[in-house]
Amino acid sequence: MSLSRFKKRCRGAKRFRRAAAGYALLVALSCCAHPDAAAQQAPGFDDLAAQAAAARDRQNIPAAIDLYAKAVQARPDWTEGWWYLTLLQYSTNQYPGAIDAANHMLQIVPHAVPAMALRGLSEFEIADYKSSLRDLEMAVQHGAASDPHNEQIVRLHLALDLTRADRFQDALEQYRALAEKQINTPEILIGIGLAGMRSTSFPSEIRPEDRDLYVGAGAAGFAFLAGESNQADTLFEQMFTKYPSAPNLHLFYGLLLYSHDPELAVDQFQQEVAVVPANEAARALLAFCLVISGKFKEALPEAQKAYAAAPDMLLAQLALGRSLGETGDIEHGTELLKKVLAQDSDNLEAHMGLAALYARAGKREDAYRERMVCLKLAK
Amino acid sequence: MSAWSASSWRNRALTSRRITGRSSAAAAALAVCLAVLCAFPAARTSAKQGKEATQPVTCGTCHVGVVNSYAHAPMRHAMEPVATNPTLLAHPNLTVQQNGYSYTVQTSNGKSIYTVSDASGNLSLPIHWVFGQHSQTFVLEKDGKLYESLVSYYPREQALATTPGDQELKPKNLTEAMGRELSQWESLMCFDCHASGATRGTHLTLDKLTMGLECERCHQGAQQHMADAADDNFKTIPKPLKRMSSGDVLNFCGQCHRSWETVVRNHWKGPAYVRFQPYRLQNSRCFAADDPRISCLACHDPHQPVNHDQAFYDKKCLACHAQTKAAGPAAAPSNAKTCPVAKAKCSTCHMPRVELPGGHAQFTDHQIRVVHPGDPYPN
Repeated sequence: MSLSRFKKRCRGAKRFRRAAAGYALLVALSCCAHPDAAAQQAPGFDDLAAQAAAARDRQNIPAAIDLYAKAVQARPDWTEGWWYLTLLQYSTNQYPGAIDAANHMLQIVPHAVPAMALRGLSEFEIADYKSSLRDLEMAVQHGAASDPHNEQIVRLHLALDLTRADRFQDALEQYRALAEKQINTPEILIGIGLAGMRSTSFPSEIRPEDRDLYVGAGAAGFAFLAGESNQADTLFEQMFTKYPSAPNLHLFYGLLLYSHDPELAVDQFQQEVAVVPANEAARALLAFCLVISGKFKEALPEAQKAYAAAPDMLLAQLALGRSLGETGDIEHGTELLKKVLAQDSDNLEAHMGLAALYARAGKREDAYRERMVCLKLAK
Repeated sequence: MSAWSASSWRNRALTSRRITGRSSAAAAALAVCLAVLCAFPAARTSAKQGKEATQPVTCGTCHVGVVNSYAHAPMRHAMEPVATNPTLLAHPNLTVQQNGYSYTVQTSNGKSIYTVSDASGNLSLPIHWVFGQHSQTFVLEKDGKLYESLVSYYPREQALATTPGDQELKPKNLTEAMGRELSQWESLMCFDCHASGATRGTHLTLDKLTMGLECERCHQGAQQHMADAADDNFKTIPKPLKRMSSGDVLNFCGQCHRSWETVVRNHWKGPAYVRFQPYRLQNSRCFAADDPRISCLACHDPHQPVNHDQAFYDKKCLACHAQTKAAGPAAAPSNAKTCPVAKAKCSTCHMPRVELPGGHAQFTDHQIRVVHPGDPYPN
């Protein structure tokens, strides 16, 4: 680990330390209550706690860890002790120990969000990305990122875990939260580029010759996520010129545009399938965007190609079902949409499609029933 | 818009028809042209004025009747010019106190100035864009950013009050008190539905903006049609919207008035969304995508001012709910009941007017239904 990264890590740890100020105060108060405890030959719990706090205050981290470990042995339900063991071991790259301490703390206080977050960060460091994702996602759900001091480190690692797990859109939502606050580092930019371009790699794993591509895509994505859409458009156009055949670059921009205006996304998905005709996801997205833009005739051939290439893809089934039905083949369209519901009975798009096809077929009651299902699902 | 001589266009059309060899076609064409000339006095006048008259060709050159009526339609006034805004001219000195701030909108010499002040000072900005014909909200520009004014004009009170949706905002300084900053996407959507030529892809093109909605906004291809018509080519007439199914009409109008799918897909719910008529109409049990008796166009002519006479709409309801099935080829559905209570002013009970939260106006809920006391609203 580089020095700068270590320092950054320690800064992150200090932030958690602030959050634990209340715990430290309790420790200090307990020390004051027993002024002569240190004079005893066999130090008891209170002595150990006081000595641990003192060592921590002197920045003698190895001694503090040792003393906290002894103190929690003496009193296993001492949450402050487990917390500092988690924090100090994480700060000094002793990740298995930090995880073990966090496990103890979370057994006592299952919703101790800082411990959950530190365990997630530690698991990331030992390459247990699945556990890290579980913990960091839970921690963020419970407010771990609402402290501005912790937000960057927690969201970045969660985004990296999500990217690794193929959950690229969820990763981009974490990056969006950082971009909206203009939190911008090289690692964040590359992370955005990787998530946007559908790569499960970490920034540290990319080839040096690919770095500029991901940084550039990340910078364009960052501008978009920060709300600077004009700047993002300029940056993406520059990237398209510089990397005309880069897979998933147009897909990235298309997906960003999609959340605001599916019709604008269509052009990007069209360009993506022109660059990589075998990009099934892009073609299914193209077909789906055309469907929700009401361009069913244009959607149909794209949906047919997407379905032929990936018949199990729900999006392809949805796009083909809806576009078939809306262009006259209501029977087969309905069949496909029902196939989607057989796999996912609460699929809103499938119910919306059925509502539209039943209405088109003059089946008022069926259409009304499906519309009411949609209203319930949308709640 | 390119400018041609209306008279030369007419002359060329006539001339080219004369030189075609097929006499029957020529006679028919001549009859059509004569009919057009008789039907549209303005166009005939232009033609009579001869070669020296060089008026630009517009939609009104041929479609003078509909263009004249559309001049008074709400969509044409979706954005009002400041200099000729009847509301601001009639109320040249509007003031209101809100959240510890004082607001004024002062109009003189064709200019309106929006000012917000508190004990610390004041902030004044010229109003460039007035959204809405009756209730009016101002979009302001400051330091290259667009803001939605925090207060709007309401005709019911003939006064300023908080802009709908901004009731919860607690401004901390004059800029925040002046208005809510609009994201790029909000700006694109607002201008796209209230003005013409204001957007291009992801970019605002406010320098090219024409206030209100011009023909091209709905009749895509109108510009090309005019260009081609000048060359006697009538093959590129825009798609006639009258031939769309009811479902397609709702989705078409729903581009701005919000379609049912848009509302459901975005999980919008609550009384504020009752203002989206296509969404509410499609919620109706009796809606059928293939039945022209229930569509936006069944009751409203977008080229005409809205008819506020409740009785005007009775025959629209009775097209389905009459005791006889003399309503035309699309027979009434077998379960279209007749009302046991009244035969007139149907919409007063079955499409009740509702108060929108913060809207300072009553709005017709377009979900057609039997309203029972105590029913959850909106469903």
